[in-house]
Amino acid sequence: MGTDRPSATGTNIEGETPQTEPAIDTDEATLTDDAELERTLGLTGGLAIGIGTMIGAGIFVFPGLAAGRAGPAAAASFAIGAVVALLVALPASELATAMPKSGGGYYFISRGLGTLAGAVVGLSLWFGLVFATAFYLVGFGYYAVDTLAELGIAVGEGLVIPIAVLFGAGFTVLNVTGTENAAKLQNGIVALLLSILVAFLGYGGLDAVGLVGDQAAPEQFAPFGAMPVFTTAALVFTSYLGFAQVATVAGEIKDPGRNLPLAMVGSVVIVGVLYVVTIFVATSAFGGERLAELGETAMVEVGRHYLGTAGAVAIVFGGLLATMSSANASVLSTSRSIYAVSRDALLPQRASRINLRYGTPHVALGMAGGPILVLTATGRVELLAEVASFLHLLMYGLICVALIALRRDEPEWYDPDFRVPGYPLVPALGAICSFALILFMQPTSQLVGVAIMLVTAGWYLYYARDVDLKGKL
Amino acid sequence: MTRILVPLAILEGESVSGGLASLLEPMDVTVLGYHVLPEQTPPDQARLQYEERATAALEDLAAEFGAEEGTADYRLVFTHDEEQTFDRIAAETDADVYAIPGATGPVDRLLVALTGDVAVDRIVSLVAELVGDRPIGATLFLATNDETRGREVLETAAETLIDRGIDVNTELAVDEPPLEALVDAAVDHDAIVMGEQAPSLRTLVFGEEAERVAAESVGPVLVVRRLEDEQTDDGA
Repeated sequence: MGTDRPSATGTNIEGETPQTEPAIDTDEATLTDDAELERTLGLTGGLAIGIGTMIGAGIFVFPGLAAGRAGPAAAASFAIGAVVALLVALPASELATAMPKSGGGYYFISRGLGTLAGAVVGLSLWFGLVFATAFYLVGFGYYAVDTLAELGIAVGEGLVIPIAVLFGAGFTVLNVTGTENAAKLQNGIVALLLSILVAFLGYGGLDAVGLVGDQAAPEQFAPFGAMPVFTTAALVFTSYLGFAQVATVAGEIKDPGRNLPLAMVGSVVIVGVLYVVTIFVATSAFGGERLAELGETAMVEVGRHYLGTAGAVAIVFGGLLATMSSANASVLSTSRSIYAVSRDALLPQRASRINLRYGTPHVALGMAGGPILVLTATGRVELLAEVASFLHLLMYGLICVALIALRRDEPEWYDPDFRVPGYPLVPALGAICSFALILFMQPTSQLVGVAIMLVTAGWYLYYARDVDLKGKL
Repeated sequence: MTRILVPLAILEGESVSGGLASLLEPMDVTVLGYHVLPEQTPPDQARLQYEERATAALEDLAAEFGAEEGTADYRLVFTHDEEQTFDRIAAETDADVYAIPGATGPVDRLLVALTGDVAVDRIVSLVAELVGDRPIGATLFLATNDETRGREVLETAAETLIDRGIDVNTELAVDEPPLEALVDAAVDHDAIVMGEQAPSLRTLVFGEEAERVAAESVGPVLVVRRLEDEQTDDGA
């Protein structure tokens, strides 16, 4: 790669300039002038981040809510989500192999479309992840209460939010003080979850098609018509946010040209299939209405329906693990995205200071943890999920636009190892679908999303108007 | 000339003793300053904050090993996984040997363990190169269950070194636990030279043998890296 890359210029209101340095990316490390940054995550690690972030929501929280809205056609909603996610994962993979840096989507957009778009996306992503994490934590709260219920301690739903807030605070503190490498644990948890799910869905699937067990009562596929299928797709899209989190650790992935596309596309395909089968199995056990009554932890009753108490316990245990791993993975991504914008002087650079005692980015983790607790306390599952999706979809749409912009006028440094098939159709469709999905959300969610965008744009104009990042590596 | 890799957790204050620096003086040395980060912290973020300080410390250390004569250089790496970093840098710099720093004064006598999975002649030729014509003695040590064969190995190795004018003793431990015998033998020696162990269940549970020897003996340990195709050799 050339050495004549332009570097970012301009200063923010405090006189800080973007801290960028020429770097050479090899398969094993990133080489800067004086130091090397080891790439330590393999394909398994990348997949574990993607799947670990996504699986908690789609399987353990949404089935009840989604089936209540769309009936068995909720499976189609999840399929629509998977297709949109794939349409974005492909362009995102190309950009990630061209720019394998910390920060993911924010980095691509700020370099492809300029500082304003970058600032809006980067700061919105911070909030998007905060909303998503709060959503996972509330899901975790529901499972914690159900776990207690399975153990014979009925505490009632009143404790869901306090438990969620308590664990949210716990995660934040653990992330600041914990120096144990939890990556291997995360890999193990994801492997365990996948085994539980494959076993459960395998049995449930056979039962549902009538090969074993009793014949299920058939229900109309889309009892409420086509519209709810799309609005539900918009709601459950939160289950597909994780693949972009893989891009936030792009700077740490080994052999990025191969592993980034495989991890992003692979995790979407794997969870997409699991989601569709889950809904099929769930709606074969109970009708949509019954599932809606069961709410966030409907899957526990589905487990009981097929496999008795053992099934219920397996699902409760899986749900606890899955929502926890989603929340934890998102906290990590949040602090990385805060780092990415503060490095570029769009936030005060103090935000990326590292704690001397623990070696962790305590300021960024605090900026993630604080808002997460406030939002968790609201306990509004659907609103949290939709706003998280809104802010992510905004980024996804712009990732596709950034790809088209970069391809139309390829800078000299632009040399991706992976090129998206079906250009320009795939990125164009990806952009259109992402923005279209936003239109199917509830008005409140759209309002909150737009408000956050306006605030971030305002922050850019106030704080970092002179920073120029477009095309600068 | 053989290149020796000296990995140091540079921001944790790890450093090298004067004794090790002068022991390694005739060799090519790469000081590997590394900093291990928890997974919450992107390596790049740590680089921004610590690069200057770490580089200054590394420049001083490399100077001690003879950077000015061109026999030493340094690398600075931020990583989540130090083992992976050691392996990569060792491969890139063609370093056949790495050092576990430890504390020691001037080195008068080396303990050379021939037990293990690395070919005896590679260990012996390192010792010959390291000692050169300096007044440093060597004790060759072997733990084995086969006394006759063990004695042969020790004598062949000793001859090679004696031919080079090095003062050599031999010590054979028969039917003793190898690691404990080695640590016992290390008393009265200032540094240890040994071969890398092939990974096994033992190393998985108890950690690398060289690390444990270093911890028990306090002094520096030079470890000759196992080659990819070097199969388990009973060393006796």
